[in-house]
Amino acid sequence: MFRSRSWFGGGLWKPKNPHSLEHLKYLYHVLSKNQTVSENNRGLLVETLRSIAEILIWGDQNDSSVFDFFLEKNMLSFFLRIMKQKCGSYVCVQLLQTLNILFENIRNETSLYYLLSNNHVNSIIVHKFDFSDEEVMAYYISFLKTLSLKLNAHTIHFFYNEVNEHTNDFPLYTEAIKFFNHSEGMVRIAVRTLTLNVYRVEDVSMLAFIRDRTAAPYFSNLVWFIGNHIIELDTCVRNDADHQSQNRLSDLVAEHLDHLHYLNDILCLNISDLNKVLSEHLLHKLLVPLYVYSLMRHKNFLCQNQEERKHVSIVVALFLLSQVFLIVSHGPLVHTLAAVMLLSDFETIQTGASKVLEMYGDISSDKPIAFSPPKESLEKSLENLSESLTVSDDLYEEENNLEEKKDTVNTENGNEEVSGTNRASTSFNSVSTVTVPVLMSPEQLDIPAEDLEEIKHLNVTDEEKEQILALESPLTPQTQKNITESLSNKPFLETILNSLFCTENDYAALFALCLLYALANNQGIDRKTLDPILCNSQSSTTTLYNEILIDRLIHIITLSCQTNARVRLVTLELTIKLLIQLVMSEGQSMLKDSHLTAIEAAKEQSTSLLKNFYKSEDIFLDMFEDEYSEIQKRPLNVEWLMMDSNILLPPTGTPMTGIEFTKRLPCGDVERARRAIRVFFLIRDLSLTLNMEAETQLPLTNPANCIQVDNVLDLNNSDIISCTIVWKDGQKIRRFIVIDVKQLILVEPDTSKLGWGVAKLVGFLQDIEVAGDKDDSRCLYLTIYKPLSSSTGNRVPLLSAKFIFDDHIRCMAAKQRLTKGRIKARQKKMNQIARLLDIPTSIPHATTPPNYALRGFRCERLGRGQRLKDHQLRPMFTVNKVPGFAAQMRRENVARATPGLSSTPKRGDTTSNEKSHENGLRSRDNSPKMPRPRSEEIPLEDMRLRKASLTSNGLTISHICEEKKDGQISACSTNGEPSSVIRKHSEETSFTCPQEVKPPRRKGQVETV
Amino acid sequence: MVEPIFNYQFRLILIGDSTVGKSSLLKYFTDGKFAELSDPTVGVDFFARLIELKDGTKIKLQLWDTAGQERFRSITKSYYRNSVGVLLVYDVCNRASFEHIPQWMMDARRHIEPHRPVFALVGCKLDLVTNGSRREVSKEEARAFADQHGVHHIETSAKTGINVEEAFRTVTQEVYSRIQTGEYKLEDGWDGIKTGFYKPSGFDFNLIEAEPAETSCC
Repeated sequence: MFRSRSWFGGGLWKPKNPHSLEHLKYLYHVLSKNQTVSENNRGLLVETLRSIAEILIWGDQNDSSVFDFFLEKNMLSFFLRIMKQKCGSYVCVQLLQTLNILFENIRNETSLYYLLSNNHVNSIIVHKFDFSDEEVMAYYISFLKTLSLKLNAHTIHFFYNEVNEHTNDFPLYTEAIKFFNHSEGMVRIAVRTLTLNVYRVEDVSMLAFIRDRTAAPYFSNLVWFIGNHIIELDTCVRNDADHQSQNRLSDLVAEHLDHLHYLNDILCLNISDLNKVLSEHLLHKLLVPLYVYSLMRHKNFLCQNQEERKHVSIVVALFLLSQVFLIVSHGPLVHTLAAVMLLSDFETIQTGASKVLEMYGDISSDKPIAFSPPKESLEKSLENLSESLTVSDDLYEEENNLEEKKDTVNTENGNEEVSGTNRASTSFNSVSTVTVPVLMSPEQLDIPAEDLEEIKHLNVTDEEKEQILALESPLTPQTQKNITESLSNKPFLETILNSLFCTENDYAALFALCLLYALANNQGIDRKTLDPILCNSQSSTTTLYNEILIDRLIHIITLSCQTNARVRLVTLELTIKLLIQLVMSEGQSMLKDSHLTAIEAAKEQSTSLLKNFYKSEDIFLDMFEDEYSEIQKRPLNVEWLMMDSNILLPPTGTPMTGIEFTKRLPCGDVERARRAIRVFFLIRDLSLTLNMEAETQLPLTNPANCIQVDNVLDLNNSDIISCTIVWKDGQKIRRFIVIDVKQLILVEPDTSKLGWGVAKLVGFLQDIEVAGDKDDSRCLYLTIYKPLSSSTGNRVPLLSAKFIFDDHIRCMAAKQRLTKGRIKARQKKMNQIARLLDIPTSIPHATTPPNYALRGFRCERLGRGQRLKDHQLRPMFTVNKVPGFAAQMRRENVARATPGLSSTPKRGDTTSNEKSHENGLRSRDNSPKMPRPRSEEIPLEDMRLRKASLTSNGLTISHICEEKKDGQISACSTNGEPSSVIRKHSEETSFTCPQEVKPPRRKGQVETV
Repeated sequence: MVEPIFNYQFRLILIGDSTVGKSSLLKYFTDGKFAELSDPTVGVDFFARLIELKDGTKIKLQLWDTAGQERFRSITKSYYRNSVGVLLVYDVCNRASFEHIPQWMMDARRHIEPHRPVFALVGCKLDLVTNGSRREVSKEEARAFADQHGVHHIETSAKTGINVEEAFRTVTQEVYSRIQTGEYKLEDGWDGIKTGFYKPSGFDFNLIEAEPAETSCC
């Protein structure tokens, strides 16, 4: 019976196909039967609303009759009716979601326009949802955002109801900005996106509404909101103990960046009316009073009567200002701010006299502008904002009332606020009006008028007047005389320049540098304003830069070359970057000789600092090249630097903070070496730039001289070893190994030219690792690493595979040549470094005596060009040069005169020694007939021991003694093991050239004997 | 709830200056009511009504009301294309609204191309004239204009309801006649004319039984 009724009732049948007109009809039926929301039908309604969105979107793209039905039944009205009932968040959320989906997806513009028509949407927007419910809030704000994305010159009329007898409102905007300071970040972001979408619509009357009705309250509150974040940030920095608050700080810095980017986004829309109001608020209520005034060393001067005047620490102020100048480029704003910061002097700040700036000379700036202090009063206005906005017609008046209220609050609270008000307001207005006459025409703004009245009422006392800050530019042409004199008179500028002293640390110096850099690079600032600071405009003298500034920059550079300098690498790099920018003009250095000398001295200093580390670490060469590529790959980016909240905390040395190496002091010897290397590179580059010379010695490997993959090579008369390469996955390829001076090349024969080959894989010899195979004497395991790239923490192998040679002889040969090649390549580079550091290469004993004995010895032996390179051997390498058997070895070597033989047994480090040890063992097991262990190998094991025992032996003789000693030591160690242990080295030592196989054998015999 | 059965569906649009009475005309036509006060249309509005022609053919009219205000001009233009009939509405007591008719007509024509809509020139607020207000557009002048352009002319009052039905009926009849003569054809992708449902059965065979709604009345 029920069934039959529903049959005739129609529509109670749920069609199988959810995407059909029938389904929508069914849903309509459900809606019309359930117009009152109740506990029972709640679930049904939510499901219905959800389905409606789905089917409408489907219809929008597939069947116009679906939307026709929606129109005919006026189904939108159901939505509104449901919304107006107190239906609870469950239904509300679905309703908002459905609307959101509709507006987001409907493409058909006639459908969209219909939905937007007749203020239905506006009535949804102004509906008082329960915003305490997070979910409702989220869906509501994203609904608004979606709508804002639909805004354009046509659709704006649906949202902004122009002035007539009934209406002048723009609920989408006014409702949204109420949430500008919502606790949820996503909500704030949505509001910002929305406001930008609104501003972007070029509709004159709408923008007029925005400016006249909402700009002042919105921006003033926004600015207050930002200011509070900054106070919070400052507190966070002040109270930080031991970098505990890195996360919190990082959030706050990110927040500040968001603020600035948002403000800049608005300013970049170039809506002059809006920008005027925004710039004013920013300057009057935030940038000057909070940022710039915080630069004042003696805060009391500014705030005699204000025990709780808000200011932030100098470090934070410098940091924030840098961010401002890095991000915001709106000319009138940054220019004014720069002028206030750089030009205002003590007297003008103190006397509060605001006069015409004769320098710019076209506008009278006597009009004081009052500054509403960011105090409780503004918080009140925050509360009132929402009310005043809803009654948009009265908004203006309310705003005015607020101002008045503020006044009373101020007077009640005592003079301090009032004085603060006046001071700040007058302060930069003078400058701003003067320097940026066009922008700052306060007459047009609401607040100034208000403020004028305020001032009248306030009846400012003399004492207050004294506190009034009038930022009149002192820079009349005559006053340009001596920057030193004027400096002491310019508190803000003085602070900035004094921050450059990094005697204790470079905490503030880094930010001062950033700020100067940002100022110098900000496109919005008139060069004239900067001239007195960044360069002397005294054209009579030869110098075209500010000597004080350059002195201080060079001082930082000099300091950073000291041992245990307290200057971080990033500070040095930024100093150099700034210095180059200031003194280089069209490729020419304008630096005075005295300054240039200072820099050359610094370069010497950095070189000798680095000399101390030369070879003292096993991985010096790798570090050297790594640091170079790092510096090349990642030149300092100041914008990025200033996003890093870590630099806001006092400089630290420990890497356990997670702070990047360049942004902290070095920790331990390795890092000190890395730092010395970097300092050397940086100052070397500076020196070359200033001398207009090109770098010829770095990088150590010139890629232009290297063989590249696919190069076709003439291999006639080259040593070629054929082999089969087996990858881990079992893939096999036949290749020929060619060993160049620097590189290992795998070639395949060129089919077109006999004796030529095509390079298929190229790796640097210095980056290879070779290991034998204990089970197969014809095999080598070869790993070729990619050239250094510290972007990836660990080294990535270019190739890691098993190489199978024709027989074990060839295998040995290959191994020896590869190992030798590696050592030679490294020697060569160490030589290059020595040349860079002015370490005399002909006297190889100069720096690391323990090893020199050996080297000198070997030089003798070798005779050839090897000699020069020898001194570069690292201690580790030299270790291999067998003590005890030296004489014999030398004889052999000399006899054969094989260049590079001496370095044959070298291995990079202890681990590889151990490896070779193992390998030797393996080879012994497998091929007992292999060459006997060569004496050279033995010391490898005891390298450390020996290294320790070896002390400065400058002479060959003493060295021999040393070697003998070593030999004994090693003998001891080897003696402890079965004799086979000694023999295990046989393979190892016998590698490389077949011809060398024999001598080691002999040696081995000697040893075993 | 059974879907009204109709043979054709025509889409008509009302255009003309702001405050000439388009919305009132439509409201009377669909609701039979007249509101003394009404807010200006923001954007567009939609109405639908079924009428039966003399030969018994049932036509569903989809009626788009548009805002006359200049600022919505770009919005309303997108509704022209899918219309087969255009009511050019003016206020008999507002000279300017009549003088703008050629402009409205040209706009419509241009946007409806390549289709050629049926126009009707509709004067509104005839009741004001009978109440003694000054008529600014004479019947003769309007008629002359209509004749010149080959369109129907009619004067109406949404307050008294005089000629309201007639105005829409004329346009509908004309569209239908053009279908009969083959001048208008059904076209995919054009919503000006559509065929309706002939079968009295509104149900598809794929319907399944729904759970009865909790609140449905029995």
